[in-house]
Amino acid sequence: MAEARELMQRYCDGDAGAFRELYALVAPRLLGYLLKMTRERALADDLLQQTFLKVHRARAAYVRGADPLPWIYAIAHRTFIDEARKHKRAVVRVGDAEELPEVAAGLTGESDDRRDEVRGDPALVSAALDALAELPAQQREAVVLTKLDGKSVAEAAEIAGTSVGAMKVRAHRGYEALRKLLGRAPKPPTDKAADKAAGGAS
Amino acid sequence: MSALDDLAQLPPPTPPGLSAALEAELAGLAPVATRRPLRQLALLIAASLVYGAGLVAMLAIRRDLHELPMGWLAGVGMMWLAGFVVPVLATVPRPGAVAPRWRFAGITSVIAALGFIGLGLVLHPSGPSSAQLGWANFGRGHGCLELGLAAALVPVVLGAIFLRGALPVGSRWAAAALGAGGGSLGGLMLHLHCPVTDGLHVGLVHGGVVGVAALLAAAIVPRATDVR
Repeated sequence: MAEARELMQRYCDGDAGAFRELYALVAPRLLGYLLKMTRERALADDLLQQTFLKVHRARAAYVRGADPLPWIYAIAHRTFIDEARKHKRAVVRVGDAEELPEVAAGLTGESDDRRDEVRGDPALVSAALDALAELPAQQREAVVLTKLDGKSVAEAAEIAGTSVGAMKVRAHRGYEALRKLLGRAPKPPTDKAADKAAGGAS
Repeated sequence: MSALDDLAQLPPPTPPGLSAALEAELAGLAPVATRRPLRQLALLIAASLVYGAGLVAMLAIRRDLHELPMGWLAGVGMMWLAGFVVPVLATVPRPGAVAPRWRFAGITSVIAALGFIGLGLVLHPSGPSSAQLGWANFGRGHGCLELGLAAALVPVVLGAIFLRGALPVGSRWAAAALGAGGGSLGGLMLHLHCPVTDGLHVGLVHGGVVGVAALLAAAIVPRATDVR
């Protein structure tokens, strides 16, 4: 991540523009991670701002030439954990009946100009998010980092402050739990299945 | 798992703009001197050794020094020195990383804490001028614990200053390494100063300094290194 390195170095040299570029580069991914952890757009936005404020205040701890991303992710992880401990409710479990439309909109995180882009099946995505929210925080984080954010197990372990072995176990257990949760969820009918059903009825 | 694949393929969300607090910080942005781990490590080791040597000079050298096996004195002294240097090496991150090697810190802290207790219990030669406390007077050895902890102050405080903001995770382990390193420096100082040679005192008090310093540092230092 040469670009992030260079931006971080320029930012430490006092270039505010470099900070804005770094924010533009890192914040979307970090917000995606925080959204999947909190399932609450407003809280994730707040944690994102807190994370960057901490990065700003701790910028003297940066080591020139180092990749700042794992460190920034670890600060986000710490911020999330602190918030979870503070409120004892990092995850807001909203039942289907109580689902708030603005939360659902925030979860996809799409801006208005991206709504036409090709994306996954909304029903499947919603089921995955619901299942993810049912996992214990450590397993959820392991799945989010390794399966959804594409981090290696070693990177995820560094971010979460655990060993590679423990991260592997958490990811495996989380993935297995998700498989069970998604297996029991009613599958949305696909177009093919709907056509077949319609054909069979006629 | 198709649902998870679909979730992974979602476009990244659009972040909000910078908060007013961040904008205010950026308005007064000034260059900062970034962390230089090797230089800080060298400074930490040098300052701690000078401080430790100063403490030994202030106190008396043990009266039974010339009666003890030179091999044991030198060998165990080198082990105490290694017990100081090796854990604090954890403050230097892997190449390309920002955060210290907290796993290495944890492993070395535990090994140092347990190793020096075991070493003291097992290996404690004595001479005619040596003193023995035994179980009956075990409590009188608290002065050594206090001296050892005093010796640990400089490496722990310096380490905490150098690592401020660098430890979003693993801060307790990194702090424990600073404590274990400082405690080992205290153990080295006691090795040269204290003439008590019974295994209980050497093992549980001199060796115990490492564990106590590590635990105290793990409890206190993360508050000092945390950036809010």
